[in-house]
Amino acid sequence: MNLQNLSIKRKLMLITMLTSSVALVLSSVSFLIYDLMSFRRQLSQDLMTQAEIIGFNSGAAMAFKDEAAATATLSALKAKDDIVAAALYSPEGKMFAHYFQADKTLPSSLDAGSQQSGYRFEGGYLRVLQQVKMNGERVGTLYLLSDMRQWNLRAKRYTSIIVIVVLICGSLALLLSSRLQKLISKPILHLEDTMRMVSSNKNYEIRATRFYGDEIGRLIDGFNTMLSEIQLRDTALQRANNELQTSTHELEVEIIHRKRTQDELLTAKQAAEQANRAKSAFLANMSHELRTPLNAIIGYSEMLEEEVQDIGKISNVRDLQKIQAAGKHLLALINDVLDLSKIEAGKMQLHIEMFDIASMIEEMVTTLKPAIAKNANAFQLHVPENLGTMRGDVTKVRQILLNLLSNACKFTDHGTVSLDVDRMTTAGQEWIQFRVSDTGIGISTEQQENLFQEFTQADISISRKYGGTGLGLAISHRFVQLMKGRIMVESTPGQGAVFTVHLPVQAAAEQPESSRSGQTVSSEAAPQVTANADTILVIDDDLAVRDLMSRSLTKMGFRVVAAAGGEEGLRLAKQLRPLVITLDVIMPDWDGWTVLNKLKADSDLAEIPVIMVTIVDNEAMGRDLGASSYLIKPVDRERLVALIEKHRAARFSTVAKTGVPPANWSSRSQRSSRKPEVVGPRRH
Amino acid sequence: MRYLRLTIAALLCMSLASGGANAQSADSSESSEYLIKAGFIYNFAQLVQWPPAAFVQPDSPIVIGILGVDPFGELIDRVVQNKKLDGRSLIVKRLKRGASLKECSILFVSSSEAAHLEEVLQSTKGLPILTIGEIPGFAVRGGIINLTLEGNRVRFEVNIEAAKQANLNISSRLLALARIVPQSADGKRSE
Repeated sequence: MNLQNLSIKRKLMLITMLTSSVALVLSSVSFLIYDLMSFRRQLSQDLMTQAEIIGFNSGAAMAFKDEAAATATLSALKAKDDIVAAALYSPEGKMFAHYFQADKTLPSSLDAGSQQSGYRFEGGYLRVLQQVKMNGERVGTLYLLSDMRQWNLRAKRYTSIIVIVVLICGSLALLLSSRLQKLISKPILHLEDTMRMVSSNKNYEIRATRFYGDEIGRLIDGFNTMLSEIQLRDTALQRANNELQTSTHELEVEIIHRKRTQDELLTAKQAAEQANRAKSAFLANMSHELRTPLNAIIGYSEMLEEEVQDIGKISNVRDLQKIQAAGKHLLALINDVLDLSKIEAGKMQLHIEMFDIASMIEEMVTTLKPAIAKNANAFQLHVPENLGTMRGDVTKVRQILLNLLSNACKFTDHGTVSLDVDRMTTAGQEWIQFRVSDTGIGISTEQQENLFQEFTQADISISRKYGGTGLGLAISHRFVQLMKGRIMVESTPGQGAVFTVHLPVQAAAEQPESSRSGQTVSSEAAPQVTANADTILVIDDDLAVRDLMSRSLTKMGFRVVAAAGGEEGLRLAKQLRPLVITLDVIMPDWDGWTVLNKLKADSDLAEIPVIMVTIVDNEAMGRDLGASSYLIKPVDRERLVALIEKHRAARFSTVAKTGVPPANWSSRSQRSSRKPEVVGPRRH
Repeated sequence: MRYLRLTIAALLCMSLASGGANAQSADSSESSEYLIKAGFIYNFAQLVQWPPAAFVQPDSPIVIGILGVDPFGELIDRVVQNKKLDGRSLIVKRLKRGASLKECSILFVSSSEAAHLEEVLQSTKGLPILTIGEIPGFAVRGGIINLTLEGNRVRFEVNIEAAKQANLNISSRLLALARIVPQSADGKRSE
């Protein structure tokens, strides 16, 4: 375990030392053993030769039984240190002569069996027996005993030599290995140093030096390659990091720049909004300013026309009708431009309510009659009996249909204009389909492409010939889009055109609060029985309006009471309990909204239907506050009358149930001659 | 060893058979002495080289002549029986005084011939005959080997000069064991 943790230097030295020492010791020992073995054999051979010589020399002495001579012969062995004892035995086995060195003795007799020639190593001694012969006849036996002194000496000397050699070789090996191990350990130690430096300094530019082309050299090459790779990646990483920092910085700068731009944009937007508000206010003002005189022009021309007709000056009637038509055209233009600007500003809102489709169409067709009659067209209306109701913006639906139908009438001469209404279901949704078809001039394919674009008529010449702003279809298109519906056109030039509008039966309720207006509308059918069944209260600060309203409504058989301000209007309402109240918004003392609020807050008056008649285009506000209808000045007289008639009919049905007799229609014509003195003093 | 047993067996037989014809020779120690001496004679034959001319043929036997009264009896015959030296067998011949000694290679001069020693030695002079005696002064007087007794141990004297005269080559191993005696003129003078 400790051995395994030794440094590579020590290990190498240890391995070298161990290997060389083991090899040296093994070879030396085997050499020693071999040498000693062969030496022993040689020794025994020598001793045998010696024994032969002595045997020969002592042969005669033995033969002549000359003990002294035999002893003398044996005494010659004194020169041989290693022979410690020698003896001659007679053939009978009795000791005949002997030579003993020091205290070593030999047996006094030998067995007959142990008298054969030979040698034997025994207890560190070499024993040799040699038969002594004379002329081939055995005359005795020689016994020699050697203590193998040379052998022992040799063994000792060789052992010491080997020890010395091993020691010398060991130290040489140590010296050599301590120098040669550097061949291996030096590059490894260097590599280790380099690695430590790299890992502690994180400096990947350092390279290990390659010393030799061996495996360690290749290892170092590999290590260097790896370092280069790491360095490359490190550099790349660093660069990427720097780039990231740079781009982050750039991004920050960009963000600051954008923020500044955003601030500027915000400021610009605010300025733009400010400007837009100013524009809207200007437009509102302008429309007010434009409509007010237009109101007067149309209203008085209508009245004049009637009066002139009564007198019988037919030539003047035509002129008055032209003034009237021009005024209405101008009004339509102004309305269209206003609508469009609203759409553009995204301020056009839907006023969703439940309404009966058939009655809506009926009412609309009434309005359309003059247009149909104008070009001597026939009108066909196909409405299924059980068409039912739909939820949507009734005003806009009406406007779309009016637009399409008036266009159809305009471009058809002595032809047929028809409106087909139907219920249909596609893609799991219920739709109402309005189909307006005519037999007029039709629209070419190229014209169809731009048909729904603003300010685009099929042909410039058309606007001269047929009039119109070219905004009608664009506005209709926008309205249909707002209601999540579709509008399509099919046409063959010269054969007529078919416009198809699909509107969902259940429009998405953008303004659920508008349902209040529905309630108001439905609950308007229960006014006080005691109210004046044919009295209309007109609240307007404009004398011209009061005058026109009084005149036209009186003509229709209503009693008109006019008030010039809100306060007076309220008082009159309490006093008279009229059938319907028409209410202007912009008035000097109380504005129309205040008056409406007060009317609805009074439980006695809340039931009286209020028709807003104003130039302020905020139908939503009016409906919210409880107005039952909303008309924009200049008032379409026919529509106003239709509305009032509707309310009277509702009142009539209620009254009929309660047994109160309805107002006498004939009495209205009697009252129609009345001057509008009821109209209050003009404030302007 | 085998021979020793045989000789001992032969000795026993002889003493029983002869019934002490010769008191000295019948004695067991006497017999043991001559047994050893017979062995010695055989050993001498091994350690002495004769000139080639001494034998007629390469396989001519070595004749051991016993001159005078035979002290060995059967003993010597048994010792040399069936033995061969350099391909030669050994034959024992008993001789009387005056007989031809030429065919002998070894001549054992019995102590009975002590009085006629000069004559015997004169007759062998110049012949390749190894003369062996057991008479005091035998070697000094011109014999080659004389067997002596030192205590009860048999030793021998060698007259190298006489051996040279007889043209015999005695092995140094034999000489190493012998007592070398010189040739003296006394013997001749005493004759």
